[in-house]
Amino acid sequence: MKGFDEIQQLWQGQKPEPNVSFETVLKHIKSDRTSLAKKLFWQSMAVGAAIILLLWMCIAVDFSTWTTYLALAIMVGCISYYFFTQLDDYRNISNSGHLLSKPQDYINYLKAFQQKRNRFNTRNYAIYEACIAVAFALYGIEMYFVLPFWTFIGSVIFIVFWFLICHFVFMKQYISNENARIAEMIGNLERIKGQFRDR
Amino acid sequence: MSNQRQLFQKLFEDNSKKVYHLCYGYTGDSDSANDLMQETFIKVWQNLDKFRNQSQFSTWIYRIAVNTCLSYLRTAKRRATDELNDNIIENYTEEPTEKHEQVALLYKSIAQLEENERIIITMVLDEVPYPEIAEIAGISEGNLRVKIHRIKHKLTEIYNSNERV
Repeated sequence: MKGFDEIQQLWQGQKPEPNVSFETVLKHIKSDRTSLAKKLFWQSMAVGAAIILLLWMCIAVDFSTWTTYLALAIMVGCISYYFFTQLDDYRNISNSGHLLSKPQDYINYLKAFQQKRNRFNTRNYAIYEACIAVAFALYGIEMYFVLPFWTFIGSVIFIVFWFLICHFVFMKQYISNENARIAEMIGNLERIKGQFRDR
Repeated sequence: MSNQRQLFQKLFEDNSKKVYHLCYGYTGDSDSANDLMQETFIKVWQNLDKFRNQSQFSTWIYRIAVNTCLSYLRTAKRRATDELNDNIIENYTEEPTEKHEQVALLYKSIAQLEENERIIITMVLDEVPYPEIAEIAGISEGNLRVKIHRIKHKLTEIYNSNERV
């Protein structure tokens, strides 16, 4: 049977010590900065290349209908929106000013951030999917005049089938997993927030 | 840059052990505690220019450590307490003396407290002054004293009941 004072003495004479040295932390700081910068660099390059390719198609290829140009514009819009939202989130998460807030305020920030990410990954993704579908449909108008009839019908069936699978199988599964994950996370954050309430 | 490095090195040497204890008390396993401690000091480095002398360096570092521990939930799925406790025992298997077993039991008991209780009690055990703990946890000193009284009692009870098993 021990009292709190004995427990405290036990704590102060304990063995566990960190096995991370100052040099390791410094090394990590350097590599961390580089890896985030690299990730952002390659993502920007990929998006830049995709946009350049689409713009080049607008100029170099002589499409016969205005709907194809509209389809390309929608594609460029979707890719840019996705990229800038990702970039904004990176900036937000690395803006470590929140780290210095009171724990309760920090938990509020985490909660808001998670909910925003959840909206981006579910609702906004559905809008993104709809826009891509519209772009394909608009491009289909041009294809109707260019492709042989049965090839056109085959392509349309394939694309519609693929969209249906994405929407009703992959997307549904993804949204339900994401909602379950976020519900658990928000539940945990709410519980901890309650513990820090000043009462 | 070199001044900043020297300051950082001093902060690391003065505070790393206590931050590690806080993270160990919070997570219940040494690997995660090392990761969280490292993450805390990376954030300390990134925010050194934001330190405004409104509080002590140690208070400021503890605040970052506490928030880093709280955000641990975002990335790690909480494991069942049994698994957590097995982990604590495993960390002490190199040299299973009576004292090590008692320390392992103490960590096991801390792991059975609520998250904010773990954070507060590790600072109490490390003899961080009460006003500093209140500032770190963002609660009033009066409320903190009530909480500490309750947590000390709870921890002692849990520890003794674990010892009897």
